[in-house]
Amino acid sequence: MSHFLLMVLYSLLVSVFFGALWRRGFRDQVILFLQLFVGMVVGGLLIAWLMYPFPPGPPTPIP
Amino acid sequence: MADSESRSAPAAEPTPVVRANPVVCVLLAWLLPGAGHLFLRRWGRGILFFALVLTSVLVGVALEGKLWRMVPGQPLSYLGTLACAGLGIPYVVLRFVMGYDGNVLSQGYEYGAAFLLTGGLMNLLLMLDVWDIAKGLKE
Repeated sequence: MSHFLLMVLYSLLVSVFFGALWRRGFRDQVILFLQLFVGMVVGGLLIAWLMYPFPPGPPTPIP
Repeated sequence: MADSESRSAPAAEPTPVVRANPVVCVLLAWLLPGAGHLFLRRWGRGILFFALVLTSVLVGVALEGKLWRMVPGQPLSYLGTLACAGLGIPYVVLRFVMGYDGNVLSQGYEYGAAFLLTGGLMNLLLMLDVWDIAKGLKE
């Protein structure tokens, strides 16, 4: 499984969990789920993009 | 006034009030994820939480992730063990019945550890939630 898919799966599990734990009412739960899920996936991609130039130098070949 | 409010807002589903010993509920919640909620007749949430924690554990094991154990002189290992032990019976089965320890050579070792830790931490939060519900502090 790729890193991205694992990140999405992890975000999905955690978002559903906190949506169900912290909110009562389906609508509020869905809103919190979406906020957390989108926040984690987009935040993860953003951090990955910011870290892209590090470490400097040619990329290490994947075996 | 009250009449207009009741017309504008749909009547909420009455949540069953179950009188139960909070300590027993928390113990059940620790033993089996979601069991505390099921005991308090929160059927939907109990099943959902059970499925979420179990999925987290299964993914962690499928990735051959690290299941923390205490290492003398390494305080972080105590925290990691506490988090993993929050899984309850799944932790006991993995650790003591199956002898599971993770595979440090596996590509998913660290990812799997994150899933296992998260499953345990989720269950610790569920124990607190069950305590609040049993004490009547939360619906």
